[in-house]
Amino acid sequence: MAARDIHGPKPPWGEHFQVIGKGHRKVDGLAKATGDAIYADDIVLPGMLHAKTLRSPHAHAKIKAIRTDKALALEGVHAVITGSDLPECYGVIPWTPDENALAVDKVRFIGDEVAAVAAVDEDTANRALELIEVDYEPLHAFLDPNEALGRGDPQIHEGRKDGNVSKHVKLDFGDVDGGFEEAEVVVEGDYSFHGTTHGAIEPHCAVAQFGADGNLTLWSSTQITHYVQREISKVLDIEPQHVRVIQPCLGGAFGGKSDPFSLEFCVSKLAMITGRPVKMLWTREEVFYAHRGRHPAQMHYRTGATRDGRLTAVDAKILLDGGAYSSFGLVTTYYSGQLLTGPYHFPAYRFDSTRVFTNTPPCGPKRGHGSVQPRFAFEIQLDELAEKLELDPIELRRRNFQGDSTETINGQRITSNGFLECLDKVETASDWKERRGKLPFGRGLGVAGSMYITGTNYPIYPNDMPQAGIQLKVDRSGLVTVFTGGNDIGQGSNSVAAYLVAEELGVEVSDVRVVAADTDLCPVDLGAYSSRVTFMVGNAVIDACRKLRAQIVDTLAATWECDKKRVRLMRGMALDLEDSERAIPMREAFQLTEAACDTLGATGSYNTPKLGGDYRGGAIGASPAYSFTAHVVEVDVDCETGFIGVKKVWCAHDCGRALNPRLVAGQIEGSVYMGIAEALLEDHKVNRFGLHDGPSLLDYPMPTTLDTPEIEALIVESVDPEGPYGAKEAGEGPLHSSIPALANAVYDAVGLRLTDLPFTPAKVLRALREMKSAAGA
Amino acid sequence: MLRLPPYRLLEPSSAEEAVKLLADEPGEAMLIAGGTDLVPNMKHGLFEPKTVISLAKVEGLEGVSDSDAGLRLGPMTTLADASQNALIIERAPALAQAAGVVAGPQLRNVGTLGGNLMLDTRCRWYNQTYFWRKGLGYCLKKDGTLCHVVEGGARCVAAASNDTAPALMTLNASAVFLGPDGEREVAIADLWTNDGIVNKKVSTDELLIAIKVPPQAPGHHGTYAKLRRRDSIDFPLFGCAVRLDLDEEGTVSGADLAAVALVARPMRVKGVEELLLGTKPGSEAFDQAVEEVAQLAYKRCRPLDNVPGDAEWRREMVPVYVRRALRSATASSGA
Amino acid sequence: MRTLHLLVNGDRLAVAAPDHWTLIEVLRYRLGLTGTKQGCDKGDCGACTVLLNGKPTLSCILPASRAEGHELTTIEGLRPAHCAAGGEGTDPVQDAFDRCDALQCGFCQPGMMLSARALLNENAQPDRKTIQEALSGNLCRCTGYTQIIEAVELVVADAAGVDPVLPAWQVDRDGEDLPLAPAVEKATTAEGDN
Repeated sequence: MAARDIHGPKPPWGEHFQVIGKGHRKVDGLAKATGDAIYADDIVLPGMLHAKTLRSPHAHAKIKAIRTDKALALEGVHAVITGSDLPECYGVIPWTPDENALAVDKVRFIGDEVAAVAAVDEDTANRALELIEVDYEPLHAFLDPNEALGRGDPQIHEGRKDGNVSKHVKLDFGDVDGGFEEAEVVVEGDYSFHGTTHGAIEPHCAVAQFGADGNLTLWSSTQITHYVQREISKVLDIEPQHVRVIQPCLGGAFGGKSDPFSLEFCVSKLAMITGRPVKMLWTREEVFYAHRGRHPAQMHYRTGATRDGRLTAVDAKILLDGGAYSSFGLVTTYYSGQLLTGPYHFPAYRFDSTRVFTNTPPCGPKRGHGSVQPRFAFEIQLDELAEKLELDPIELRRRNFQGDSTETINGQRITSNGFLECLDKVETASDWKERRGKLPFGRGLGVAGSMYITGTNYPIYPNDMPQAGIQLKVDRSGLVTVFTGGNDIGQGSNSVAAYLVAEELGVEVSDVRVVAADTDLCPVDLGAYSSRVTFMVGNAVIDACRKLRAQIVDTLAATWECDKKRVRLMRGMALDLEDSERAIPMREAFQLTEAACDTLGATGSYNTPKLGGDYRGGAIGASPAYSFTAHVVEVDVDCETGFIGVKKVWCAHDCGRALNPRLVAGQIEGSVYMGIAEALLEDHKVNRFGLHDGPSLLDYPMPTTLDTPEIEALIVESVDPEGPYGAKEAGEGPLHSSIPALANAVYDAVGLRLTDLPFTPAKVLRALREMKSAAGA
Repeated sequence: MLRLPPYRLLEPSSAEEAVKLLADEPGEAMLIAGGTDLVPNMKHGLFEPKTVISLAKVEGLEGVSDSDAGLRLGPMTTLADASQNALIIERAPALAQAAGVVAGPQLRNVGTLGGNLMLDTRCRWYNQTYFWRKGLGYCLKKDGTLCHVVEGGARCVAAASNDTAPALMTLNASAVFLGPDGEREVAIADLWTNDGIVNKKVSTDELLIAIKVPPQAPGHHGTYAKLRRRDSIDFPLFGCAVRLDLDEEGTVSGADLAAVALVARPMRVKGVEELLLGTKPGSEAFDQAVEEVAQLAYKRCRPLDNVPGDAEWRREMVPVYVRRALRSATASSGA
Repeated sequence: MRTLHLLVNGDRLAVAAPDHWTLIEVLRYRLGLTGTKQGCDKGDCGACTVLLNGKPTLSCILPASRAEGHELTTIEGLRPAHCAAGGEGTDPVQDAFDRCDALQCGFCQPGMMLSARALLNENAQPDRKTIQEALSGNLCRCTGYTQIIEAVELVVADAAGVDPVLPAWQVDRDGEDLPLAPAVEKATTAEGDN
């Protein structure tokens, strides 16, 4: 790690922050509020064509022939493409490229892309799809991951070594068997997590324009511009400097727009063929097929502890249903084991995780990628352990706290760790001591804790270049422009960049513009995934600002003939601390500096230190900082109907320094909402025919205002030594423990141990009955 | 986005004209009121009419009027207006409640009473896109030969899903249709068939022009209870309306119960009145009668796997919601 | 194809569109009013909400001709109407959403803000339950609705001249205020300079 990567947690000027830690407006809030903000589908280009995709009606089939001539002959149709037009495979993980923009020789789930049409309008394109003839030879379809694990024929992806296994990881740390021998109490059980999807309100959309100069411009609703550029370059065989990818305003992602998607390749290819701009907007149904949501997981956990509640060993076996393609699956498989080793000290740990392919919509990264499922299982086990040991579940968690500045059993470096304070906060706010275990039957409180990465130190393709880059342009008008490859997907990363510049250079937030996520204009950032943007882009912004700041301070000190220490930049002014007559607006300070140093600008970079355990896969899950969370959930179980009413959720999250606490609160609240929604309402699955069970926002029930519990966000600021001013992530961590805390609350309420998600009222009612009859027997 | 199939839109200004336009294109024309159900269904390719006849500009189909014969409700009255109408709230509370829990707020601002009454039946194998249904091989209700609710089923069991229907049935309401041969009035309880493909005994050339709610007993109480996954937007997984008439002593002098989201027809549960007659809310006898009604409803109401939600659980919810509806109906009586 | 005579955000417009187009297509593809968003295709999410005679309506399932003869308000209409009425900045609903950071991805928010505006036009002092009911047809995937409801309550509090109830995280932070409305911000800064 270079010095440029660490800037310390202190305010840049004096004792106090001027901008950081306060509730500022977002840089794009008013544009979004007024309808001015431009999203991908708002883009209209002269002569633009509209494209549509033909999809497979079979879950698993060989393609024997495709005939497109009738479609091409339809008036208004300008181009039809199939798999043979885009034969190059791609995949977001360079080691597992197993996707084609359009199926080449076989289809692997109902909804898999087969052909695409560009026409004068959507209606014409749809009519053309009807005219494309495809001969399929159906194959056995795997809808159950257990079957796919046990049977390798037919292979969903032919030519792989291991049947229908997508990835297998088995790692053990410490003396696991010894740990269980030492254990005085052991809990063991099965847990299952269902599939859920992101449900961003904006459907995927892409627009491509292929200039006569050979430059391709692609506007896409992606959360990772850089990887899209790389894969487009590869699949369409255009040198990357001629591929410009722009992410316009993005209508939500949550991981669901992380992969390169078929539509991005199709509009690009169709634009190249027709010489006209081409747009494709997916229907909501198509978004459900694109999926890349939470992997269904079947998990077996065994946890040992001493009589006084100290963990001795944890052993896990996990089966992940990956769906039809690899997507991020290699990482998911590692994450399902690697990210469990905090906030508690594990003396010994083993996990054996397998991801299999099935003929269902592909799974991928959804908020809390890979680690939400194991966290669900493990935090319920801790509750079971606490019960066996007759310990308060919060106390049990405190006793096993790993501490800060430590290393986990699997070699992850932990820096700051505010987990104890998270527990204290939810304990106090929920009145836990007075109420837990003491509420009337039907009502209860449950607790759970978790940790998550703040970015990953391992870039998706190996390279020694920075993970985040920044350019600053300082204008004599007083305006500072930040160019960042970071993707603002609604989380507010562009605003965070502006706050940091304002703090460092002493300008008003409103005098900072952010140009983001345009590969022609902005230095590379690896994109909005794994909760990395605030940390990495933030550090790069500070790096760039400090270079500029030195120029400005040097110039002012020379001009004022004073010591550099007397110069302060804050609130839009440059000041001499000892001579108040010398206060000048920053605009003037910029002009003086430009005169002295020539045109002003700076670059900034961030790269992670070398991290992770010294073993294969040891870098996956290694992060420069970890966030920590504790939830208390209060439920009211209706024993007549089985409905679980969530009365309130308290979520304390350690995000390091809260750069804008209002944005942090928004991330906590949104995460809690999404976790509770997964637990109680949502279920992404296929029916017995392999058809999606209900690919619409009516049948996939996302909670309304009336179904969302009261959420109390509590911010814990452990101040990380390496984060920008000490900041860590807030966007994904606060989802994890909401689900097991809910399950544990149900146990407190009615004595029912729910281990099989989702907690539908039918399931709850049945379980209550069974419990009652077992008690009566 | 998901596209509507092309059609010709006609906008008659009178009911007579609308009926004539319907007759001009037998089987090819459809009526559209609020369109909140028809438009999604057309986007799914479930209906592909050549001509769509909008009722938006037809005069005299909106509003609520009161006479000795009871309330006359214009079928184009929006669900939002119906749920907030003082006359309906006072005279037909179950209807106001039912109208107020249809879908979400925006739909109720456009969706109409008439549209809800005439709602197409719903099924998880049917209310899907053309692509999806094609992948399935279609179903009995549209383009196919098999029902998938019961594997290999030969009868369509799509579910009546109109919240207002059971409320209107307990109110002994009737519907007035205008057809080529003039008007006819039919009790809403007699409107239904048990065929999920078309569950109404209404000819395709008839137009609903009024819903009539007769005067209710002085001690009328009514309520509607709806089971759904979310507290907004969703169709019913089960719905039941109750009527409970109390005499001057506060004793039950009349009662009725009707349910929806079970099978193709909204269903009146017969024998409810006998169980409740003469009991007094608050008494043990009433509580016992409520329990008997709940058990009777459980026996009669058998939800199928036609709409989302575990059918067995939905059946378990029948007595629960019946009990709740009956108790909530009496809650306002001070009993 | 027919010519529709619409009154959109105060402008009388004649626009040609096929019979089978819904209102959202006319707004987005003919009039360029892309602030109205399309999320679910068929009336399930509320992103496409516009005001028809002041009432929230789903434009993705409304045949376009149904808008004829009615006043239509899209998200683009709120600020001009506020300015025309002598206001500064944006409509208080838009401003409060921004101040509360209720806009994360922003995609559902045009519809959400119009539902909120319609509610407040009818009821200037709604309680929380009423706000939740009124917004229950607008799905948001980012916020968990918390800051959205805070924003509506901020408008209500501002109108009543009382302090809004602060969320717990904010109570912990002494003295932190909501960002000011731009006009107020300007005025206070000017004072500070004197």
